[in-house]
Amino acid sequence: MDLVRHPLPGAAVPANALALPAGVVPRIGGRDGVPVPDAPTRSALRPDLDVVFRREYRRVVSVAARVLGSRDSAEDVAQEVFLAFNRSSVPAGEAGGWLSVAAAHTALNLIRSGRRRASNEETAATAVPLAEPDVAEVVVTLEERSRVRAALARLPRKQAVALVLRHSGLSYAEVAAALDLSPGSVGTTVRRAESALREELTRHASSH
Amino acid sequence: MRHPTDGVLRRLLDEPAGVAEADRRHVADCDRCLAALAATREDAALVGAALTTEADVDVPAAWARLTAAASASAAPVRTPAPAPAPARSARRGRFGELVRRPATAALAFGVVLAGAGTAAANDWLPIFRTEEVAAIGLDSADLVALPDLEAYGDVVMTGDDDLRPVPDAETAEAESGLDVPEVAALPSGITGEPEYQVGGEVTATFTFDADRAARAAAAAGEALPTPPPGLDGAPVRLVAGPGVAQVWQSGSGAPGLIVGRAVAPSAFSSSGVPFETVRDYLLSLPGLPEDVAAQLRTFTADGSTLPLPVPSDFVTTTTEDVDGEPATVLATRDRTLAAVVWVEDGEVTVVAGALDTGEVLEVARGLR
Repeated sequence: MDLVRHPLPGAAVPANALALPAGVVPRIGGRDGVPVPDAPTRSALRPDLDVVFRREYRRVVSVAARVLGSRDSAEDVAQEVFLAFNRSSVPAGEAGGWLSVAAAHTALNLIRSGRRRASNEETAATAVPLAEPDVAEVVVTLEERSRVRAALARLPRKQAVALVLRHSGLSYAEVAAALDLSPGSVGTTVRRAESALREELTRHASSH
Repeated sequence: MRHPTDGVLRRLLDEPAGVAEADRRHVADCDRCLAALAATREDAALVGAALTTEADVDVPAAWARLTAAASASAAPVRTPAPAPAPARSARRGRFGELVRRPATAALAFGVVLAGAGTAAANDWLPIFRTEEVAAIGLDSADLVALPDLEAYGDVVMTGDDDLRPVPDAETAEAESGLDVPEVAALPSGITGEPEYQVGGEVTATFTFDADRAARAAAAAGEALPTPPPGLDGAPVRLVAGPGVAQVWQSGSGAPGLIVGRAVAPSAFSSSGVPFETVRDYLLSLPGLPEDVAAQLRTFTADGSTLPLPVPSDFVTTTTEDVDGEPATVLATRDRTLAAVVWVEDGEVTVVAGALDTGEVLEVARGLR
């Protein structure tokens, strides 16, 4: 089931027009008709940005990299995510979850939009696995990595995000809070996603 | 006792302390659960390895890049946004590519509107002559779960859905045949001249294939409802466009305000099967959650509404009036993005941006 590949024109024109806001960068400003003076809201940096950035940057890149398979692209996504955070009024205490979810969605949108289609081969070629002792015995080819990412983009969004957050080291409680799930359902959501991706790999392996 | 769920077994791998003692004891003594746990561990390891990517980053360099970008985006309000470089404009084809990089909070709208563009109006919803737009509250999981029509027949697209930049409003009008809406007053923070984009008419033809649909239904474990007489092999032609958009960059170079207009989608059938019949039949196909189908039926009862599925977990919707037409107003729950959409005289217009709902409505109502 690929809903992205062939958008029909009924969706194409008005929906494309509607798709534009996907790129809009949010700002802090007048909300609900309450004007906010320009000067204060346009100061360059939130006072807490430095602390949040140094605390969360690696993880935000890690989240995006798991989706995109490319560190450079992941860093681009992280920059956008932090810029948006800088303009937002998200409290610093909630920044970790917000940033991780934003990175996952943004990276998934990138894949889904097909804008990375042209560079898929490059992505696969540059994906460098970390040496992870726990999974050292698991051999995953570059082609499989690429296929898993394509399958990731086709998963229900919540499953995909939960999976990526969990594999990026967020605890079950953190994933639950970030996605408004009950902690008990995080395991189920992640398991379903892993099962679907495993099937994708197995299906291909058996067809060769 | 009952066997713990798959979710409990999954958590046992990562956070055994988070699993109830009784469940842990059960699993330790249950061959079936131990086997399931082993399979779970294997899947988790395989997927984990497949998703792992080198992510060794230079944090100080990244911080320097961020502060430079943030400063640039915080430039004085009066500074006009730089005109897009021609080379860049030429590279941008589709609307989505107007955005140099994905913006985040875009995520909420990204979901809706990616929703609208893909699953969305989901291939078959726009088969009506559109008279108005209605927002439907769907969970985003429902959106991506909507069935792909390719499983039920052939889909052939013709026309050019790429958008191309044009130099000015006159050219945009000449090429699209549409009146380019003129913004009376830009919201605070939005300055400079817009970039104009034009897209052509696009057509998709969907031809229902009963055999293929039956296979899809069987795969979903259900029987295919009997198709209405005359539907099998009968093409339905969907036509939309042309469209035109004006995009104002914000200080950071990302779009800050978008005003788009397109010929609303309409549908034609050569088979004599009424659209309502086609719609109701498609709505009954296996794979579409019944509650969603029921909502869609309600919204399309008069055959003149383009439902705009909206993930209610990210976006709120309200109805307002724009020059006497009912308009759907969307806002992300974090209030960072807003859009208003309405249909008038067969044209759908959208005003969207990093604005609040009051601001997009003001722009919408001030269009000339």
